[in-house]
Amino acid sequence: MDTSFRKSFEPFISRFDPCKPIPVKYYETPPQLYLGFQPEGLEQFSPAEALKHGTLWPALYAPYSNPYRHDGK
Amino acid sequence: MANKPLPDDYYQRLEEIQKIDFTLVELNLYLDTHPQDLEAIKQYNTFTKKAKELRQMFEERYGPMIHFGHSYSTHPWAWIESPWPWQV
Repeated sequence: MDTSFRKSFEPFISRFDPCKPIPVKYYETPPQLYLGFQPEGLEQFSPAEALKHGTLWPALYAPYSNPYRHDGK
Repeated sequence: MANKPLPDDYYQRLEEIQKIDFTLVELNLYLDTHPQDLEAIKQYNTFTKKAKELRQMFEERYGPMIHFGHSYSTHPWAWIESPWPWQV
């Protein structure tokens, strides 16, 4: 699973926090944030692949996997 | 047609149409922001022509796909025949 779009930070954990602390929190920075105005002639999936991947453009394909589940589903 | 199970051909054709239609949606959205891109327009027109052909062949076999004037109907009125689109 390509997780290069994933960033993380460590929140401050106070001794008075009522719930179990989450040491590391993650957030996604999908490719369109870095792409800016989409250039012409960008590489394309075939129609079959596009339907499967949910986008016509491989450069914008960013599947999500849950970082908080150990199996990453 | 009522509750006979559908032939595989129905689903194969439907998937072909879905592939082309999804690509057309993507191209349409792309062209909304890139009106000058000639290559994409050519591709869009080719795919539109293909989509129309596929839909027409599908409808010849299995009846109207989209109502309200987007598809022809045989007699009696075919739109009310099952399966409805959401039952497929």
